[in-house]
Amino acid sequence: MRSSKIIKTIAQKLFPFIVLFGFYLISHGHLSPGGGFQGGVVLGTAIILLALSHSIEQTEKKFKSRWLNMLEKLGILTLIFLGFLGIFLGYSFLGNFLPLGKPGQIASGGLMLPFNIAIGIKVAAGISAIFYALIKYRGEI
Amino acid sequence: MSIHIPILIIISPLLAAFLVLLSRKYKIILATASIITSIVFTLTLSSRVLSGDKVTYHLGGWRGPLGISLVVDELSLFFSLIVLGLGLLVIVYSMPERNYGRTYYFLLLISLSSMIGVIYTADIFNMYVFYELLSLAVYLLIAYPKTGVTLRASFNYLIMGGVGLSFFLLGVGFLYAMTGTLDMFHIAERLPAAFNSSMQMVIMSFVLIATGMGIKIAVFPLHGWLPDAHSMAPSPVSALLSGVTVKIGIYCLIRVVYTVFSTEMFLLISSHNILIVLGVVSLLFGASMALAQKDLKRLLAYSTINQLGIVFIGLGIGTELGLTGALFHVLNHAIMKSTLFFCAGIMIAETGTREVKGLSGFGRQQPAIAFSFVIASLGMIGIPPINGFASKWLICLAAVEAGYTFPVVIILIASTIAAAYYFRVIQVLFGGSLKQGAMPAHEREQVIHRGNLFRSWPIYILAAGCLLLGLLPALGISLVKPAVSLLLFHVVP
Amino acid sequence: MNPVNISLLVCMIGLYGVMSKNNLIKKIMGLTIMNGSIVLFFISIGYRKGGLAPILEKGTTGGIPTIIVVDPLPQALMLTAIVIGISVTALALALIVKIYSKYKTLDIQQLSKER
Repeated sequence: MRSSKIIKTIAQKLFPFIVLFGFYLISHGHLSPGGGFQGGVVLGTAIILLALSHSIEQTEKKFKSRWLNMLEKLGILTLIFLGFLGIFLGYSFLGNFLPLGKPGQIASGGLMLPFNIAIGIKVAAGISAIFYALIKYRGEI
Repeated sequence: MSIHIPILIIISPLLAAFLVLLSRKYKIILATASIITSIVFTLTLSSRVLSGDKVTYHLGGWRGPLGISLVVDELSLFFSLIVLGLGLLVIVYSMPERNYGRTYYFLLLISLSSMIGVIYTADIFNMYVFYELLSLAVYLLIAYPKTGVTLRASFNYLIMGGVGLSFFLLGVGFLYAMTGTLDMFHIAERLPAAFNSSMQMVIMSFVLIATGMGIKIAVFPLHGWLPDAHSMAPSPVSALLSGVTVKIGIYCLIRVVYTVFSTEMFLLISSHNILIVLGVVSLLFGASMALAQKDLKRLLAYSTINQLGIVFIGLGIGTELGLTGALFHVLNHAIMKSTLFFCAGIMIAETGTREVKGLSGFGRQQPAIAFSFVIASLGMIGIPPINGFASKWLICLAAVEAGYTFPVVIILIASTIAAAYYFRVIQVLFGGSLKQGAMPAHEREQVIHRGNLFRSWPIYILAAGCLLLGLLPALGISLVKPAVSLLLFHVVP
Repeated sequence: MNPVNISLLVCMIGLYGVMSKNNLIKKIMGLTIMNGSIVLFFISIGYRKGGLAPILEKGTTGGIPTIIVVDPLPQALMLTAIVIGISVTALALALIVKIYSKYKTLDIQQLSKER
C-alpha cells in the first residue's frame, strides 16, 4: 500500500509520543484510568500505525514477529511466576507481598505495578501479532 | 503448601499449556504430567470434601463478598473428576497422531484448565470469564484441521455461543444490580430480600441465565450448532466436546439454580414443567433425527441431544431420586459417548469413509474395538448389564413416583428408536466384507496412523468402566449421593 | 427511558443483526453491538446520583473519600468483558479470512448450500 510522503513522515514523528503515552497509561494504572490492557493496546496501535503507513515488510524488519511471539509467552509466564511468588512468600496465590507505599505515588499499591507491566507488554505483542497475521494474508486471496 | 491445592489444580494445566508452546520435543510429556498432577491433587482433596467439609480458597487474600474465592464441594468434586479423567484419556488417544502440533496440545490444556476453573469458582463473573476462555479454545479446536466444513461449523458455533454467553452476562448484571455482590453464596443470602421488593428483576435474570446456558447445553430450540460442530471436529475433540463440554453447561445451570436461586424461589417461578417439556421434546427430536442420518459421527451427535433430554427430565422432576438419576446419567453418558467417538475415529481412519454403510466388515477385522462399540451402544439404549440402564431406570422410577407418567412413555419410545439406529450400525459392522475406499477430502488431515494399537487402550478402559458401573451401580451412586444431598438438603449424611 | 431499557433495546438490535443479516461480517458486527450494550448496562447500574469519578485527588489523605463516587466495580468488570469481546471478534475475523479464501463468498445462504 503506497502512502504519500506526508503520512509517512508524520507517522514516523508521532511514533515516540504514542509509545510514551502507552507507557504512561501502563504505569499509572493504579492511580488514574488506564492500566495494563489499555496501555498495551495503545502500544500495539503504535506498531500498527507504522505498519499501515509504511509497508508491512519494512515494519517487520524492525519489529520481528519472532520477537513478538516470544514476548507474548514471556508475559504470561511472568504473570504466573508472580502469582507463585505470592505462594512461596506465605500469602495466597496472587497475594500482595510488595510494600504498599503512599497512595498517589507510582511505587504504591503493591503487586499492581509489575502486573500491569507484564500485561501491557503481553497485550502489545498480542495485538501486533494478530495484525501481522491478518494483514500478511492479503497476497494469497 | 496443602492449602494452596485448589488453585494449583487450575494453574498446572495452564502453566503446562504455555510451556508446551515453547518446546516441541516435550509437549506430550508436559501435557500428561500436568493432568496427572491435577488428578492426584483432586484425589487428595476428595477425602476432606466427601466428609462434609467444603474447601475454600481466597485468591489474593481477599475475603468475603469482595474477593474471588474457589470453593470445592461435593458437586464440584464430582464434575471435576469426570473432566480430568476424560481429559487424560483424550490426550492419550491423540498421542500417536503426528500431525497434531504444539498448538493442539496448547488448546487442549487451556480448555481443560478453564473447565476446572468454571467448576471450582464461587464468583459468578469469574464463571463467565472462564467459560468464555473455554469457548474460545473449543472454537479453535474444532477448526484445527483447516478444511472448509470445519471452519463453517466453528463459525456457526462461535456466533451462537457468543450470543448465549452475552445473555448469561446480562443475567449476571441484573443479579449484581439487585444484590450488590458477585459471590454466589452471598448472593443467595441477599436474594430473598430483593425478591420481595422487585420480583420481576429476579425472574428476568433467571430467564436470561437459563437461556444463555440453554444455548450451550443445546436443548431443543437452541441446538443448531451441535450436529455440525460435534461431527466435523477431529475425533478426540468430538469425544471431549460431547463427553465433557456440554456437561459444564449442565453444571452451571445446576449451580445457579440450587446455590444462587434457592429451591423455594425456583418452585415459585414454577420452572419444573418447562424443563420436563423441553427434555421430552429434545428426546424425541434427537432420536428421530439420529434415525435419519447416514453419517456415523452426525448420528452420534444427534444421540447426544437425545441423552441430554433425559438429563433435563431428571433435573425437572427435582426429587432426590430424579436428581440422583440425572447426575448419574451425566457420568454414564460421558463415559459411553467418549467410547463411541473414539471407536468412530478408528473406524473412519481404517475404512476411509464416514458413512455407516461403508463400515461393513470392520467387526471381523478388529473384533475388540467393535465389541467395545457394541457395549457402549447397548448402554446408550438402556439394556441391563450396562450402566445406561441404571440411570434411565432411576429417572423413570422418579417420574412415576412424582406422578408424571407421560415422560416415562416417551423415554421408552425414544429408547426403542435408539435401538433401531444403533443396531443398524452394529449389523453393518459385523456383516459383509471390508472394503477400503479412498479417503474423502476432509478426512485426510485427521488420519490416525493405521495399525497403531496404542490408541485403543482408552477405548478398552472406558468400555470396562461401562461394564463395571453397570454391574455395580452402587459404585456410581455412592459418588453421586453426596452431591445430591448437598443440593437438596444442605447437609451431608 | 432509563438506561436499562435503552441497553436492552440496543441488545435486541444487535440480536436482530446476528439473526437476519446474510453477510458474515455483519453478523460479527451484530455480536459486537450486543457486547457494547452489555457494557452500557453494567456502567449504568453503577451510577450513583451526583457521583464523581472514583479517583483519589492529589492532596487528600489516603483514606475513605468524603465525596460521593460512582461504583467502580462494574467498570473493572467491563474492562474484562471488553477484552473478551475483542478476542472473540479477532478469532471470528480470522475464521472469516480463511472461509473467504476457500469459498470465495461471504454470503451465508450460499455457504450453507455447499457440500
